[in-house]
Amino acid sequence: MNRDKIKVIVSKVGLDGHDRGAKVVATLLKEAGMEVVYLGMYQTPEGVIRAAIDEDADVIGLSYLSGEHLVYTPKIVNEMKKSGLNDVLLVVGGSFPPEDVPVMKEMGVDEVFRGGSLTKSIVDYIKKNAREKG
Amino acid sequence: MSQGQAIKKNIEGACDVNWDDYLKSYYEKPQSAKTWSGYEVQELYTPDDLAHKDYKREIGDAGDYPFTRGLHRNMFRGRYWTRREVVGIGSPADTHERAAFCFEQGGTGLNTIADVTYEMGLDADHPWAKTEVGLTGVNITSVKDMETLVGDIPLDKVSWSLITASTAAAATMAQYVVVAQQKKYDISCLRGSIQNDPIHFRYCGFRPACPLDLSVKLGADVMEYCTRNMPKFYYTTVNMYDLREQGINAHQEVAYGFGIAMCYIDELLRRGLHIDDFAPRFTFYVSCHVDFFEEIAKIRAARRMWAKLLKEKYGAKDPRSMQFRFAVHTAGCSLVPQQPLNNIVRIAYEALAAVLSGVQSLHCCSYDEPMCLPTEKGHLQALRTQQILAYETGVTNVADPLGGSYFIESLTDKIEEEALRCMKEVEDLGGMEEAIRSEWLDRKFETEAVKRQKEVDGGDKLIVGVNIFDSEPETKTPLGVQRITEQSAKQQISEVQELKRTRNVGRLREAIDRLRDDASSRKNTIPAMIEATKVFATTAELLGTVREVMGYPYDPMQVIESPFK
Repeated sequence: MNRDKIKVIVSKVGLDGHDRGAKVVATLLKEAGMEVVYLGMYQTPEGVIRAAIDEDADVIGLSYLSGEHLVYTPKIVNEMKKSGLNDVLLVVGGSFPPEDVPVMKEMGVDEVFRGGSLTKSIVDYIKKNAREKG
Repeated sequence: MSQGQAIKKNIEGACDVNWDDYLKSYYEKPQSAKTWSGYEVQELYTPDDLAHKDYKREIGDAGDYPFTRGLHRNMFRGRYWTRREVVGIGSPADTHERAAFCFEQGGTGLNTIADVTYEMGLDADHPWAKTEVGLTGVNITSVKDMETLVGDIPLDKVSWSLITASTAAAATMAQYVVVAQQKKYDISCLRGSIQNDPIHFRYCGFRPACPLDLSVKLGADVMEYCTRNMPKFYYTTVNMYDLREQGINAHQEVAYGFGIAMCYIDELLRRGLHIDDFAPRFTFYVSCHVDFFEEIAKIRAARRMWAKLLKEKYGAKDPRSMQFRFAVHTAGCSLVPQQPLNNIVRIAYEALAAVLSGVQSLHCCSYDEPMCLPTEKGHLQALRTQQILAYETGVTNVADPLGGSYFIESLTDKIEEEALRCMKEVEDLGGMEEAIRSEWLDRKFETEAVKRQKEVDGGDKLIVGVNIFDSEPETKTPLGVQRITEQSAKQQISEVQELKRTRNVGRLREAIDRLRDDASSRKNTIPAMIEATKVFATTAELLGTVREVMGYPYDPMQVIESPFK
């Protein structure tokens, strides 16, 4: 295992099929030198956590575009706590109202990137904060 | 320093003016002269650029082949475009209420969209559906939901566009016909359209519901059924818009959209229909992105290409078969959550392009789309955008007002040339079905989407609020946020469970057996779906039964088994 590289799980959760953003981010994080495991669509919170443990990931990145972020995020956070993934960075991206950004952070999300975010801001954030948590 | 950064620095220093930067901004000129899709354009077009053109043969008047300039000579003097806002929210009753609101405010066409659970072919009580019912549209599990959605809408008068795109469109068709028959309508008089383009929907996150052969089979079943029984109904809206939203450019949108349309045409011809029996009922859903002239040229090119394709490749004789009928959806992916009120302006430019292209029906996005489902205020703003265009600006007076422009005609030619090259590329791969099967098209979408993001990251494509003129991020959505109450979903789920407990199981089984038999013997499945719907077979049961016959798991999510074993 190459421990120099930051390892990121990128996933969607639930039935939402808008995966353009998740796939683009996965590709661009790879190009920025990270190791990316793209889980794709129709994942469950439990499945994402299992993958994060199996892959020994530093970061979990979730993408939501259909208003399901407030449904699944607490479940993910809860599963992370149960599994002791306290040092794994949780990053969320996608379409949601600005009002929900503090709500998700309150739930335990480390950072939120809304549509229109430039790749550099995501890459810089992850490089600075991965493995610094917990 | 890119143009974006120079100006950003200037804005940030606005209180403490940097006069050097100020002067640079004063003398600033655009850095790129390329269109959104990357076509090089000249600084000036002159009569020389059109000198070689044979007007009658290659352009033609509006209303005449090859319809470059529009389908009707009098265009909007004959009738305004349909002002149709997409509605889909919460339960069937919630959706009906919002649709009624749009009507009251002057909307002229009904447009209801299915949610992810319905498009996936799941009943509301499916384990995966329970948390998502109604989040992004409306779920129709049984004919009772369709009854609620229809309510008092006069189906023979109002043009209703049913947006179910996946294989679930077959179930929608059955549910719609049953409700219409219950209400004593002669179904041959029903107007409106159904999206029914399952092939493209595999690219929108519905691959488990839309295997290619099942998509062709059920898509064509709906088309064939309507051709024989509902001659006034438009039975497919080939969705070029959704393809464009994947990140591809203007000519790829046309080329891949036509490729998918040809899959359906070829299947209907294999079934023994004649091209002129069905082609007049083909319609398209087209994107209008933010590059104004490019979008107008794209639509003009598409109209000419479709006319030629139908006449020359398919031997159509009826001019109506050659007419590219289309609705426009302004480009959702051109909108950003930063400085969200700016989206109203983007949408207005895109809508203007649609109208100047001779659109038949228009949906304007709501400004709040990058944040949430449209709020009532968002919907109203979108509708008012259309109404200002229609009633204030004078754009309805003249057909194809940009026709004959040296630039527009040249750009139309350019897009046609590029799109034809793209179609040839697909043909050389063995046709669209092969391009889909081999995932060539997936790779295309993925590469193009990454390219688009890099263009924005690098400042080659400028977006106000994103990589130029950005300011402090907003903490509030200006006109409020649309939330879906869990109550609607819970009620629908309990109604579905109650229905499943109380229906006549014997009659249901007989109807499902007939559907299975018809699917097994490759008959059209819609008549059997209609009969099964009358005895309360649900969406998942109709589709699951056909899926099993075609060799797929009953449940696309592979959680539940068929209850009919």
